Amino acid sequence: MTNQEPDIGSLETEMNRGFLHILVLALLEKDMYGYSMVKHIEALGYRVEENTLYPLLRRLEKNGWIASKWDLSEDRPRKFYAVTAKGRALRGSLLGIWRNQDRVLAKIEKENANVQ
Amino acid sequence: MSNKLEAYLEEISHFLSGRAEREEILSEIRSHILEKAAAEHGGTGDDAVDRAIAAYGPPRRVAERYAEDRPIIAPAYKRYLVRYTTLLFAVHAAFTVLAVVLGKQFVVFPFLYMPELGVIDALMYLPTAFLADLGLVALVLYFITQSGKDVKLPWPKFALDLDEVEPPRKAFWGRVGTAVGAVVMLAVTDFALYLFVRYHTIFLYLREGSGPRPFLTPEAGRYLSLIVIAMFAVSTMALFVKLLTRSRWVDVVKNVLTLGLIGLILRQPFDGLFAVAVPAKLETVLRYNVKIGLLVVALIVTWELVRDVVRLGRRNISHIHLIQ
Repeated sequence: MTNQEPDIGSLETEMNRGFLHILVLALLEKDMYGYSMVKHIEALGYRVEENTLYPLLRRLEKNGWIASKWDLSEDRPRKFYAVTAKGRALRGSLLGIWRNQDRVLAKIEKENANVQ
Repeated sequence: MSNKLEAYLEEISHFLSGRAEREEILSEIRSHILEKAAAEHGGTGDDAVDRAIAAYGPPRRVAERYAEDRPIIAPAYKRYLVRYTTLLFAVHAAFTVLAVVLGKQFVVFPFLYMPELGVIDALMYLPTAFLADLGLVALVLYFITQSGKDVKLPWPKFALDLDEVEPPRKAFWGRVGTAVGAVVMLAVTDFALYLFVRYHTIFLYLREGSGPRPFLTPEAGRYLSLIVIAMFAVSTMALFVKLLTRSRWVDVVKNVLTLGLIGLILRQPFDGLFAVAVPAKLETVLRYNVKIGLLVVALIVTWELVRDVVRLGRRNISHIHLIQ
């Protein structure tokens, strides 16, 4: 999570809920395992709690939006995840919603700037 | 493999109990912690694993993240928990009063078995009955919630609506009425006490030339007088307290005490009650009229009690909604 004022904590959690779905579905265009996803997201300047990511991955997989498989070839077993065709379709719809919300907010900000 | 990691996973497993995919979840967490320990803390030794575990979070919190956000009882049905429980309990309480008054056991097949109860038994029985009613309603609402269907639950129009949930109005003349009532009740209570101290009973009749004489036998007169004085005192205190607060709890407490005192009156056997000769016909009429009268009063008090508890419950629920 990003560092925000403490009083918006719960609101940030609510906003993140939807955003994390899009983020993970976008990220899993190539196969990744949990830890690599956490590090990748951190490198992009965002942060996701580890104990939040895995339940989310489980829910996405349950709905058929992502698929997973264990890789036992390395020293440590790793579970790799990848987006499915159904997940891609969902990602498209979610991105559409998010872009529309962004457009509406940008318009309102512009209107507010004109009022001032 | 670190013992601490296995202990940590065991704790998570405890809080995850009941989930079919528990082993898979634990494998994912194990894999992540070992990966993190190796990549960020220089290996998979105890210290490194400890630090990775600390970052992952407390076991219960980790397990709770896997819980679906499905409520036990859907928010739309929450108010029915209070509504139906109070309705069911009102019926239960009425049957309890009947069981005490009639001194018989009976069955309302297949829903209810009322054993033969004394007043004290009844007072002990009612809290258990309330919990049973609450549990039954909660169970029905749970099954409706889990079915996922949009069931429209009935609620009779004669009953209370949420819009009625508001504290009693603070009208000036209403307060004057309460004050007058309190003073009158205080005078009545004092007069009854005066009679009791002087004659050891408040049930008296006037006989020309010989002054007041007791209407009931000394023992019954003393017992019933004390109960009636206690009822006057409860009403007086409730009225005075109502001048200071508008809380419905005052009425709830008053009605609970009144119900208990009515129960004590009903315990008094009718046979051999009178100290004067009463014709057999009149005694029979009195016997049934007194019992019916007390039963009606008990039912009215029970209804008021249930109504106030419903209103209090609704207010609490509406506050919860506001907080959420």
